[in-house]
Amino acid sequence: MIELLLWPLLAGLVLTSIHAYFGLHVLARGVVFVDLSLAQVAALGLTVAILAGHPVHSEAAYWYALAFAIAGAILFATARPYESSLPQEAVIGIVYAVSAALAVIVLDRAPLGAEHIKQILIGSILTVTPSDVGLLVLLYGAIGVLHFVCRRPLTEVSFHPQLVTSLPRGAFVWDIVFYVSFALVVTSSVRIAGVLLVFSYLIVPAGLAGVLVSDLRRRLMLAWGLGALLTALGLYASWSWDLPTGPAIVTAFGAATALVGLGAVARQLTRRRAGIVACGLAIFIGLPLVAFPQVDQPWLDALEDMAPVLQTGFLTSSERATRTEAIESIERARAELARLGALNQDVQWGKVEMEPEKAERLRQYLMGKSEISAGDQLVLRHLRSTAREHQRFGLGLPLFIAGGCGLYALLRRVS
Amino acid sequence: MRRAFYARTFALALTALPAAPHGGLSQEKIRVVTTSADLKSLAEAVGGDRLQVESLTTPEQDPHTFEVKPAQLTRLRNASLIVRIGLDHEPWFARLSSPTVPVVDASKSVRLLQTAIPRLRVERRAHVHAFGNTHYWLDPRNAQPITASILAGLAALRPGEKAAFEANRDRFLSRLEERIAAWEKTLERFRGTKVVVVHDSWAYFADRFGLQIVAAAEPHPGIPPSPAELAMLFKRMRESNVRNLIADPHANPALVQQITAKGGARAVTLLPSGTDYIALFEENVKRLSATLDPD
Repeated sequence: MIELLLWPLLAGLVLTSIHAYFGLHVLARGVVFVDLSLAQVAALGLTVAILAGHPVHSEAAYWYALAFAIAGAILFATARPYESSLPQEAVIGIVYAVSAALAVIVLDRAPLGAEHIKQILIGSILTVTPSDVGLLVLLYGAIGVLHFVCRRPLTEVSFHPQLVTSLPRGAFVWDIVFYVSFALVVTSSVRIAGVLLVFSYLIVPAGLAGVLVSDLRRRLMLAWGLGALLTALGLYASWSWDLPTGPAIVTAFGAATALVGLGAVARQLTRRRAGIVACGLAIFIGLPLVAFPQVDQPWLDALEDMAPVLQTGFLTSSERATRTEAIESIERARAELARLGALNQDVQWGKVEMEPEKAERLRQYLMGKSEISAGDQLVLRHLRSTAREHQRFGLGLPLFIAGGCGLYALLRRVS
Repeated sequence: MRRAFYARTFALALTALPAAPHGGLSQEKIRVVTTSADLKSLAEAVGGDRLQVESLTTPEQDPHTFEVKPAQLTRLRNASLIVRIGLDHEPWFARLSSPTVPVVDASKSVRLLQTAIPRLRVERRAHVHAFGNTHYWLDPRNAQPITASILAGLAALRPGEKAAFEANRDRFLSRLEERIAAWEKTLERFRGTKVVVVHDSWAYFADRFGLQIVAAAEPHPGIPPSPAELAMLFKRMRESNVRNLIADPHANPALVQQITAKGGARAVTLLPSGTDYIALFEENVKRLSATLDPD
């Protein structure tokens, strides 16, 4: 695990360090999608490089991408003073859509590479190499030093633009510095981690820190800590639950945001509001069960998995026996399939010697066995739909009535 | 004056003579549209110069994510015959409804591999195709059933020229058979060699030339493998001493690099599609014999 996840973790920490910082700026400027837009412009640069005959992973292609991204950055900086007539978000959106469309047109002329562009946008942080990380450290270190040296004007131009209006040309220059260094960061990060992950690194730690503390310096510290923690959690989840790595980290960021959001809501929750929410929920899930019992009810499926009595309570004793039998049979089949599947893998890899005829029989047996198990699954599904008919009035109707009465009582007390 | 007129008429009649047995209409070429370059090559092998074939995709394009352009749509509508890979290889094809044009599904009489999908999954590794692996043209012997389907489609359009098509096909197949013997001889020393593939597109090729595919690194194209899967792959590659990786041109270079570095394998990129069917195999056999490390 360590051997495989060490470099992705380090890459994640490097990304956190620069993106959490830029995220604070981007949020203050209200240009959340600037990162997606610049990444798309960089991708357009890559496609043009392909058309010019450079392989997609060559140095030349990187410089093409960078040149395009910097051009986009300068465009954004130029558009900022005209905010009142055309909002900057609109410019960013237009640039995104047009460069994505242009990339499709260009790729149509040079089809080899379309896959690679897609892969770059998805990213592959799992397969990052030590030299990738080393280059990022050097580049982002240099940018960090530049931003640290010029921290006063850069902070002012992002956080208090109204104070700099007395020096319009000065503001423009610092906007250019900001956007160009940002373009450099985005172009380099997306190559490693993909658009989605880079966007999450940019917005989530900075955004969450903004919700929790107000002082800028403490916000940056908290964002760094959050980014590092969530990266580690995402990597761990990816390892233990067998998930694609980049999306797992993005989901970890999403889950953290949801937790903070729920926490903020819970803090404002009075008992009465909680009651209204609970009653509303009871109506929301009870009504479909009464009206369409055979439609998928994922909440009930999940509850039944946790507490089977919710289903078995609505079955006859013989149905219950059938259910237990089917479940046991599936369990047995699963265990046997896992064992024989592992054996089959060993045979395939040549770890275990087996005559070809016997190996083929093993494969056939595995296939047949999984079909039989599929039959048991059907039995379970049938029992579930039988139970639903009883749950309709035994569970759905009481829920609906209780929710309705509760809501009526709670709302009447106000008026 | 009059003699000159007769002479000219006679000359005209003479020049018209050789064309006469074919009749006026059949002189026109049959317009065939194929969904892949390989099928174009095979259709040309059967139809010879009686066909005018256009392929909707180039060998470099990914057939799964192809987008049809207006000019191609027109050509598709005006075609006399459409030849496609079939199964679920071209998901975009279903949206181009042109029921008036006869369609040859080249997969019809091919023996398909990996048709069974376990419905109860013990592990996440299950391949993407619902009707069996669709890369059947990568077994050169499958040219036989594919060209048979094309022949049937063409013969239905021009019954009078069936014999000519049959002769073309026989000539092509005997040339191919000769080359297959040569390829099999070149690859003989790799028989039984264990290889890892990046995508599941080499089942037929491996089946024909006796390579043994032990795993696909990226079972779902476009979805990177999870760390646990990758770790398992490296462990198994080291344990079983698997030293060869077959990649496609579309494969993620970062993944290929990682497998060669950590799994200790050498990678060879094979082409899944080409504009000349026989040349495609020549190239792949050449690349394989240059890089592969026999077990």
